[in-house]
Amino acid sequence: MNSPQQTTSKISPRLIYITFISVLFAVAIGDHLTSPALSNLGAPTELGNACAPCGAPCVDTKPTAD
Amino acid sequence: MAVSSPTTKQQNAPRQGLWSFGTVDKPLLALISCLGLILAGLAGLDTGLTGLALVGLGLLLGMTFMGFQYGFASGWRRFLETGDASSLSLHFLLSAVCALMFIPVSAAGLGPSGSLAPVSVSLFIGAFMFGTGMQLANGCGSGVLFSFGGGSGRMIVALPFFVIGSVLGSMILPPILAWGSLGQIEIGAGLSGTGKLAVNLLLLLGTAGFFGWLSARRGFRINRTMLVATALIGLLCWGVFWVSNHPWGVTFGFTLWGAKIASAAGLPIETFAFWTWPGPQRALAHSVFSDTSSLMDFAMIIGAGLTAAVTGAFAKSAWPNARQLQAAALGGVLMGIGARLSFGCNIGAFLAGTASGSLHGWIWFALALAGSVLGIRLRAKFGF
Repeated sequence: MNSPQQTTSKISPRLIYITFISVLFAVAIGDHLTSPALSNLGAPTELGNACAPCGAPCVDTKPTAD
Repeated sequence: MAVSSPTTKQQNAPRQGLWSFGTVDKPLLALISCLGLILAGLAGLDTGLTGLALVGLGLLLGMTFMGFQYGFASGWRRFLETGDASSLSLHFLLSAVCALMFIPVSAAGLGPSGSLAPVSVSLFIGAFMFGTGMQLANGCGSGVLFSFGGGSGRMIVALPFFVIGSVLGSMILPPILAWGSLGQIEIGAGLSGTGKLAVNLLLLLGTAGFFGWLSARRGFRINRTMLVATALIGLLCWGVFWVSNHPWGVTFGFTLWGAKIASAAGLPIETFAFWTWPGPQRALAHSVFSDTSSLMDFAMIIGAGLTAAVTGAFAKSAWPNARQLQAAALGGVLMGIGARLSFGCNIGAFLAGTASGSLHGWIWFALALAGSVLGIRLRAKFGF
C-alpha cells in the first residue's frame, strides 16, 4: 500500500525512466551524428573575452570618459 | 519553519549510501551499459583518450554520488532545520581538497585554470533563486543529475524543468549582467601561488572546522562514510580538472541541451545575445558530446544508473505525490534560471569558485543558503 506521500500510478517511474533515458540518448546521438564534432572537447570559457565559466564576456561597468 | 512529516524526517536523516546490494535489475543494467558503451565509443572516436577519460570520470562521479547518496541540498537543509552542520563542514573540506590542485596548477601556468566569475548583481539574484529551487526539488545540480540517473520519479520531473529554466536563464543573463558588476575578484590576488593557496586553504579549512565545531557542540558527528566519499569526489575533481583543463561543471550542459531542443523546434535561439558569445556559440554549433560539461552529464547519468541497477534501487522507486512533483517542477525552473544568472550550481559556482580562490564562490554559498531558508518554508506549503 502506498503512503500518503506517494502517488498511486499505474505507470512506474522505472517505465518512465526507461522511456526518458532512451529518448534522451537517442536525441543526443542523433545530434552528434548530424552536427560537426570538435577534435578537442571544448568549454565556453575558452573563447573570446570570457569572464565566467558559461562564456559571459567581461563587463566593464566603470564610466568611461568621452 | 517547515512542519516535519515522517517523510521530511526521513529525507533529512544523514544519508548512509546505497552500497548494500539488492536484486540486480538485469534489463536496466543491459540498457544502461549499452548506452554507456555507445557514449564512450562516440566520444573516443572524436576526442580520443581525452573524451574517454572524461566519460570514465563522469561514470565514476555518478557512481560515487549515487552510491554514497552524496548531496548538497539535504545537508544544507539539515543545518537550517536541526543545526547539524556536518555536511557543510564536508563540503568546505571538499573545496579545500580541490583547491590543493586548482590554485597551484593555475598559478604555475601548467594549462588547466580555475573557475573565476564576476561579482555581479546577477550572481546575488541567481544564487538566491538556486538555493530556493534546490530545496523545492530536493536536489541541486549534481543531485538532480545523479538522482535522475538513479531513476528518481521526482527528478524525472525536475530535470526537464531545470533544462527549460536554464534556457530562460541564458536569455535573461545578458541584460541582467548589465545591471552591475565588480568583475572577477580573486582572494589573495597579488600574492605568489603559494601565498594564494595558503590564504584560501586557511579560509576553507577554517570554515570547515567552524562548521565541524558547531556540529560537535550540538551533538552531531561527521559521518565517516561521507568523509570517504568527500575524499573520492575530491580526487575525481582533480582528474576532471587535469584532463579537461577546467574545474568540473554541470549546468552548462543542461543549457546546451535545452538550446539544441529549442533550436530544433524552430526557436531562433542562436540570435539571443548569450548564444552569440563565442563559447556558447561554438557549443551550439557542435555536437552535444563536444562540450565537456554536456559529455560528463551524460556519463554521470550512466554511472548513477549502473549503480542503481546493480543495487536494485529502481525497485524501491515510487512516485512522490502531485504537490511534490509540482514543487520539483518549480524548483527545477528556479535552479535553471538561477544557475545561469549565478554562473553555475553547487559544483560549478560554489565548489569550483571557492576552490579556485574566487570571491563569487563564497557569495554564491551565502546567497544559496539564504535562498534555502525560503525554499524550506515553501516546502511546507507543498506539503513536505
